[in-house]
Amino acid sequence: MTPDPRSGCFTLAQADREAVLFPALRELTAHHYRHCAGYARILDATGGWSDSGRGHRNLGDLPWLPVRLFKNHVLKSIPDEEVFTVVTSSGTTGQPSRVHLDRQAAAAQQAALASVLRTAIGPRRLPMLIVDSGATVARAATVSARRAGVLGMMAYGRDYTFLLDADGELDRPAARAFLAAHGRAPFLVFGFTFLVWSALAAFAAEEDLDLSQGVLVHTGGWKKLADLAVDNDEFRRHFARFGLRRIHNFYGMAEQIGTVFLEGTRMPGLYCPDFADVVIRDPDTWREAAVGTPGLIQVVSTLPRSYPGHSLLTEDLGVVHGVDDGDWPGKRFSILGRLPRAEARGCSDAVGG
Amino acid sequence: MLLQHFPEERELPLEQVLAGLRAADRAPDRLGYGDERVLDFLDALSHELLRPRLVRRHPELAPLGFFLRRSRLAQWTRATDGAADLRVPRGIVFHIPPANVSTLLAYPWALSMLAGNANVIRLSTRGSAATDELLGVLRETVRQADPAVRASQLVVSYGHDDEVTAALSAACHLRLMWGGDQTIDRLRRFALAPGARDLPMPERSSLCVVSAATWQGTDEAGRTAVVEGFYNDAYWYGQAACASPLTICWIGPDGQAARAGADFVDRLEALVAQRRPQIDVEMAVEKRVATYGLAVTASARSVGFRGNALAVVSLSPGRLLESWCGTGTFGLACFPDLDALAPLITRRHQTIGHFGFERDTLLAFARRLAGRGVDRLVPVGEALAFERVWDGYDLLYECSKAVTVRLPTTPPLRRPAAVAGPTGP
Repeated sequence: MTPDPRSGCFTLAQADREAVLFPALRELTAHHYRHCAGYARILDATGGWSDSGRGHRNLGDLPWLPVRLFKNHVLKSIPDEEVFTVVTSSGTTGQPSRVHLDRQAAAAQQAALASVLRTAIGPRRLPMLIVDSGATVARAATVSARRAGVLGMMAYGRDYTFLLDADGELDRPAARAFLAAHGRAPFLVFGFTFLVWSALAAFAAEEDLDLSQGVLVHTGGWKKLADLAVDNDEFRRHFARFGLRRIHNFYGMAEQIGTVFLEGTRMPGLYCPDFADVVIRDPDTWREAAVGTPGLIQVVSTLPRSYPGHSLLTEDLGVVHGVDDGDWPGKRFSILGRLPRAEARGCSDAVGG
Repeated sequence: MLLQHFPEERELPLEQVLAGLRAADRAPDRLGYGDERVLDFLDALSHELLRPRLVRRHPELAPLGFFLRRSRLAQWTRATDGAADLRVPRGIVFHIPPANVSTLLAYPWALSMLAGNANVIRLSTRGSAATDELLGVLRETVRQADPAVRASQLVVSYGHDDEVTAALSAACHLRLMWGGDQTIDRLRRFALAPGARDLPMPERSSLCVVSAATWQGTDEAGRTAVVEGFYNDAYWYGQAACASPLTICWIGPDGQAARAGADFVDRLEALVAQRRPQIDVEMAVEKRVATYGLAVTASARSVGFRGNALAVVSLSPGRLLESWCGTGTFGLACFPDLDALAPLITRRHQTIGHFGFERDTLLAFARRLAGRGVDRLVPVGEALAFERVWDGYDLLYECSKAVTVRLPTTPPLRRPAAVAGPTGP
């Protein structure tokens, strides 16, 4: 497959990708081994770094860290005085993850994120309909992932309109005004998946909106929608009725900030940017699962240089649908859901007050 | 509204629970210490729990069945205590058992019932299959029991309702509570009556000690038996029971201890492969998170995964595994002798499973610890066997009171004065 010149950072076929990523990730492993004592202790204890990497022959061989380790421990490969920013995740339970970036890493993650999003949105800032409330952004004291997500995406839009009012109710006049002003040329719609469904899907149906010029970018997971028995197919089918077909879900995590996997619009699934890849692991053998076989998702990326997050085992289940057979080259995969937390069934686990 | 699970299933208001408990405590035919009516009920229960069909389904209920056999219970209550002339019930006992160790609900309750108390047990709203089964058997058995038993024993559940916890706490004479430190702290905020007391069973952790020399001198069959016992101690409740071993301490010279430890782990791996304990994906991930964390903090020198059901952590010198790291995660440590282990023992440690030690050696070790931890030293394989003495408390005595009954002292016989007679020089 010849790379589409418009595909930005989605150009590498799987074999080429691995040829580029494997030496880079092996070098990163060596780098973090040298600069992060905790990481080195893990590799030494688990024997995951035999002979300083000479024993590793391909991408699937490289050691990985469980992503939750960043909740319980500080793991960074830069001295304290070079920490430029600490990114925290929005853990639903317990402590958030903390990821340390120096100035260079912060810039690199922004550039990488931009290159992925530009692939979906195009090179220019578009008028932006935000499926959220202005209050989410205004509340300066809160450091929610939602706020960070909306603020981050606003960098790719202009002429912002919030679809929800301060009480979280649909602001119909504002939405109508936005579409009247910008609906006949490309515009951007962004929101968290659940809000997009609960607010925009119904509204579109009620008013029979013309969304054919829209590009919808959404993220945040399918858990709440799964409770409503709405999956990605149903989601896409619904919006297609109103002409909205350029829909890009994306998948990423704070522990690998800047790396996002982007949904294509023709062949279903998430695609990997050139600097990243996924490995689906069989949770019994921990070996790479075959195409079509579900397993735990390992995400690898050449971005994390200031902390050892270049190879992470997530707690998400996923499946690779195909390789080099979709909108963009490389693996095409889906998220199937999140693992529940393991429950200690012990005496310490009492009923409580 | 509370949900009652025993003696029968129904909803009932708090006032009725309290009234029932008080009435049972004051009833003229109330239960006494070592009451025959309780022995009858527990014995019947024991028979039901040991039915083969049930044992096959829930093997963890079988030890409870054995525990409740009449002969031993009767022997306990007949035995007299040197200091007391009579033992009597404490009154009303409020139990807050652990959420998911199904049988731990029953042991302290049975002992408290045997002491003659009216009992109210707060059941977790997240039950397990074994708990449901146990309650079903209890309900069935109690139909034949004496009305005084039926009227004085209650199992209830309710959500996070402080009003109920406060009322039951205020009404009871003894509160038996299990749980993590936070849970115990939270429960302690609910005041007891002035004369009542708490019996807390906080979170504990356990280990086992094996003499490397004895191990090397033990034949195949002996080693197999120890490993099987260890397997049951560890895997029965997903290694999360307080008494389940987390660290295996090999006692002996370095080389010998390491060799013995390696042999033990190989045998355990083979047994695990045979028994196939249920380890789901989230547990496998949990173990990775926990053991990698031990490496980060330098508590672990090496971590070896033998499939998802067994992870072996070589601990750095001076470390024991102190908290659950996912089912089937064991710390390995070597010590030249038990004395070298002693400084690492804290009040958190509950049970030591042992193999290859003389009684005198264990007694000397316990004496040296002097209560700074470890309440039980039991053979490997018996760590989970509930005993009348638990966490250092004799529960039968804690659930009862001592009564002194003394008659007037008889004046010493005096010789009649006349016999002595006035004598004079």
